[in-house]
Amino acid sequence: MSAAYALFSDPESAQAAVDRLRAAGVADREITVISSEPFEAHEFGSRDKATWMFRIAGAGGAVGLAFAYWLTRMTEQAWPLPTGGMPIVATWPNLIIMFELTMLFAVLSTVGTLLVTARIPRRRPALYDPAVSDGRILVGLENPTMPLDALERAFAARPGQVKTLP
Amino acid sequence: MSEADRRITDDLLRPLLSTSARFWVLVVFLGAIVATGLGTWVYQIYHGFGMTGIRWPIFWAFYVTNFVFWIGISHAGTLISAILRLVNARWRRPVTRCAEAITVFALMIGAMFPIIHLGRPWLFFWLVPYPNQRGIWPNFRSPLVWDFFAITAYLTGSVLFLFLPMIPDLALVRDRTTGWRHRCYGVFALGWRGTTTQWNRLEAAMEIMAIAILPVAVSVHTIVSFDFSMAPVPMWHSTIFGPYFVAGAIFSGIAALIIAMAFLRTFLHLEEYLHPVHFQNLGKLLLMMSLLWAYFVFAERLTVWYGNEPSEMAVFRVTQRGAFAPLYWTMVVCNFVIPFPILALKKTRTIAGCVVASACVLVGMWLERFLIIVPSLGHKYLPYSWGVYRPRPVEIIITISTFAAMSLLYVLFAKLVPIISVWELKVGSHPAHRPQTVEERDSEQALFVARTES
Amino acid sequence: MAHRWGMAVDLDRCTGCEACVTACRAENNIPTVGAAQAATGRAINWIRVERYWEGEFPDARLTFRPVLCQQCDAAPCEPVCPTYASHHTEEGLNAQVYNRCIGTRYCANACPYNVRFFNFFNPQWDKPLQLQLNPDVSVREVGVMEKCTFCVQRISAAETQARADGKPIKDGDLKTACAQSCPATALVFGDLDDPDSAVSRLSRSPRGSQLLGDLGTKPKITYLARQS
Repeated sequence: MSAAYALFSDPESAQAAVDRLRAAGVADREITVISSEPFEAHEFGSRDKATWMFRIAGAGGAVGLAFAYWLTRMTEQAWPLPTGGMPIVATWPNLIIMFELTMLFAVLSTVGTLLVTARIPRRRPALYDPAVSDGRILVGLENPTMPLDALERAFAARPGQVKTLP
Repeated sequence: MSEADRRITDDLLRPLLSTSARFWVLVVFLGAIVATGLGTWVYQIYHGFGMTGIRWPIFWAFYVTNFVFWIGISHAGTLISAILRLVNARWRRPVTRCAEAITVFALMIGAMFPIIHLGRPWLFFWLVPYPNQRGIWPNFRSPLVWDFFAITAYLTGSVLFLFLPMIPDLALVRDRTTGWRHRCYGVFALGWRGTTTQWNRLEAAMEIMAIAILPVAVSVHTIVSFDFSMAPVPMWHSTIFGPYFVAGAIFSGIAALIIAMAFLRTFLHLEEYLHPVHFQNLGKLLLMMSLLWAYFVFAERLTVWYGNEPSEMAVFRVTQRGAFAPLYWTMVVCNFVIPFPILALKKTRTIAGCVVASACVLVGMWLERFLIIVPSLGHKYLPYSWGVYRPRPVEIIITISTFAAMSLLYVLFAKLVPIISVWELKVGSHPAHRPQTVEERDSEQALFVARTES
Repeated sequence: MAHRWGMAVDLDRCTGCEACVTACRAENNIPTVGAAQAATGRAINWIRVERYWEGEFPDARLTFRPVLCQQCDAAPCEPVCPTYASHHTEEGLNAQVYNRCIGTRYCANACPYNVRFFNFFNPQWDKPLQLQLNPDVSVREVGVMEKCTFCVQRISAAETQARADGKPIKDGDLKTACAQSCPATALVFGDLDDPDSAVSRLSRSPRGSQLLGDLGTKPKITYLARQS
């Protein structure tokens, strides 16, 4: 089977199921927990929280700053047209452009990182059950190596409660 | 999950799934006004810009007023969503998407006006820095080019700020619908599942966006104010314009938000989610902004009056006592005299009171923009070239049609997307548990196993 | 051989006859907008004669001041143009490039002298007036800003001829249309970089002042005050 999962009605039982799976020897990154809202207060919701997104946003901003500096400077020198007695390379106005492009690039790199790390848009079919939208919490394994009865014990589920995907 | 959660989902998805005849009537009515506005714009392009009331020396009037006004309204979402998100204010949850939607649509409408007011609008793209065979680049010293960059950054940021937290709700609608709706929402939900990784990344992205969008919002309206303060025009060339305009923008933005929320509450039956306390909180913010606005106006006017510089005093007198006095004092009444008592007294700070105050503020803030632009341009340094401006029908029609366009976009948005963020509301309705200790978890587990085995 | 073009306007000599205004229209293909449009303030006058009253009849005094583009060295109209349509040339002129103008009209707002004008409609000349158009000057379309150029077409022609002849331009040979047509010689045009030119000498006159000079625009037109 490609996936096996159970649906839980509250975060506490989902947490318990995750703990039992861990006790049964399943690695953390193989356990998938899907919910219709984030459960940051619970342990299962706060795993995999570390992210490079802030640093990538900062790096994106730095790229934007450098790009804007180059763009304004290069274009102002490419065809130097004096205006209003101002210098050809006008620092004060260029700062404004540099600020805006810094923020724009930071925003775009944040969104890009989100799309990549959250793996959206999703191309390949993945483990999901629309019952999640009703408020159920899905705890499951993709490509599980354990046999079904061991899974059922781990989920502490009634027979038939554990669903499998072919 | 719980009954409450199911009710939240049902209530907030109902506008998407069932449509009344009233909706279609409203859409057709607003659409007709918008179509008239678009047609009027084409008429203006075809017959020449002379169809407007613009004349020497008042070269900016209604269109630039509308530009500043709508960009100002767009500061609603940023304040509510970003600032309240960053300070973790609980009461913001039902309000964030309403506010963010106002931002995006007001920005889109506001960004049209720099194109509408051009003499040769088909060449607006020359503000984009792209290599071309003319060998010419935009002039980065021009505040209009700053406008272009600022509005691009802000519009991109706002659209993304609106869309990102919408993804889980689009997935919710995807799961609740069938047929073409299911497919469409499936496309826009980007295959969202709701794994813990996805939630964590989304929350991180929202935090970064909230931090990033605030300085951009402040910079956008400051740069819009620079359109005026960079020119040596009496009563334009003022250092106060940056903060003055930002304060005015937030002021008008909150007013627009209150009105939008009041309409949504009534017509979409969201009484359970938009409580009087939300309006009271926003009303208090509106009161504070009204006081701040009055402070800025007083500081600016006192400085001009005390300085007694002849060309500035000419503009000062024409607004306070001259031809523009009726509009000026209407503005003061609408922005301060009426809203202040309504919002200051708890008895009158009801939903209806807030809406009345907000409507006055919108009128007053539109007049404020007009009164910054037109009297100054009509009374510059050489009295021989002073002039009087009269709006012509094309300008009035296009102005009215932007209000219809804003309403139409908003109505369509509320029909296609849950106007209150479902997942954020659910998170807010479950008080956060403190993290469990290992012992607590073990004992709970034992209980759970026992329960299921019995 | 670089020049710096400037002008001196003697307010003592100006009679307010507006020959300069007429000559400028003829030289530069300035459209007439019609009575209705002119009444609403759309008339285009690259040079205009401002008339001020002082006192009451019968002791009223009239002062005339021809106002045209001051070709400011620190022109506020130049940095605000998003497409560089308004920029400064090496000879000190404020150039208006019609092809680059997209009609934001920011330059007109920034100009403290209100010497910039907008084409509200496409210009029309009823036949046979179109035969009078100057072939050296373009006709501007709707949506484009225009203003006094110090008759740049005459300047270019004179400079080209001078280069071809190998001789410098003599002071007084090159005149703008307004200076050429003034019957009182109130307008004097020339090279400010030539210390012996008439305009240089007049600019140094103790009667000389600049219009709105305290704004820091550095205009290149010197107004010589009335003596009487």
